[in-house]
Amino acid sequence: MTHQTHSYHMVNPSPWPLTGALSAFLMTSGLIMWFHFNSLILLALSLLTNTLTMYQWWRDIVRESTFQGHHTPTVQKGLRYGMILFILSEALFFMGFFWAFYHSSLAPTPELGGSWPPTGIHPLNPLEVPLLNTSVLLASGVSITWAHHSLMEGNRKHTLQALLITIMLGLYFTLLQVSEYYEASFTISDGIYGSTFFVATGFHGLHVIIGSTFLIVCFMRQLTFHFTSNHHFGFEAAAWYWHFVDVVWLFLYISIYWWGS
Amino acid sequence: MLRSLLALRQIAQRTISTASRRQFENKVPEKQKLFQEDNGIPVHLKGGIADALLYRATMILTVGGTAYSMYQLAVASFPKKQG
Repeated sequence: MTHQTHSYHMVNPSPWPLTGALSAFLMTSGLIMWFHFNSLILLALSLLTNTLTMYQWWRDIVRESTFQGHHTPTVQKGLRYGMILFILSEALFFMGFFWAFYHSSLAPTPELGGSWPPTGIHPLNPLEVPLLNTSVLLASGVSITWAHHSLMEGNRKHTLQALLITIMLGLYFTLLQVSEYYEASFTISDGIYGSTFFVATGFHGLHVIIGSTFLIVCFMRQLTFHFTSNHHFGFEAAAWYWHFVDVVWLFLYISIYWWGS
Repeated sequence: MLRSLLALRQIAQRTISTASRRQFENKVPEKQKLFQEDNGIPVHLKGGIADALLYRATMILTVGGTAYSMYQLAVASFPKKQG
């Protein structure tokens, strides 16, 4: 019987990197077919295959860790580095959109009326729903911290309650934002104001949805006894991501909603 | 009357708590046994027949989709001339 003499995880050969790459190819081709030839079939197929890949890839990671025990402290360290680097890359992604916003808003052109907000644009009142959204996300940061402490203390019921509250707050934020998008008097095609507003807040909203999905997965894993009080990296990764989403919102609120109004 | 109401409440509580205990019993040890079986099956197929079906469906859709997109590319590369 051969046993490894190191603490790393040598994964079984897996088809998911291939199906993931192919689904990404289908996504780009699908966008072209949609933009230029008015056909949605490839795009729909790409979303389906992408979802299938993500589901099966992450399902396999749960199997490798919780069921097969391959996530040694060494492996977990690598996963921590990986998650931190990924979140850093996302931070840089958002910095680009903030750069674009400040580029246009710090020196508004004559075409905009020489002012920010541009002439004719009626921005959303930062003290109404946007302020509520801020309090919702801040509260969700508190509840997820409560969930983590409950998890570390081995309190199953409180972990589930606090996680559920966090998820509900995330969904509440999303619903509020959708309603704001509907009610806004300006659209994405209303000049540079519309572009910067909806692209920055839109990508943020997408990340809230991704983060909420990650938290829902953690909730289901906690229900089925996957996490232990001292080994629950999936939960920690979700919490880090969620705090990141919260911080991006704070920057959005202060820059675009408040200073930019 | 009151005593029988109290008894009914106790039974209801016990039944509900037993039901939820049945729903969320810790099944992780069973899963650990299944996925640690020394049968040489890779992890993406080790869960059973559903794994194989889902794998096959995913592969057919991605490879088929890629072939279809190549076909669309070929069609788009030779646009019909407007008479």
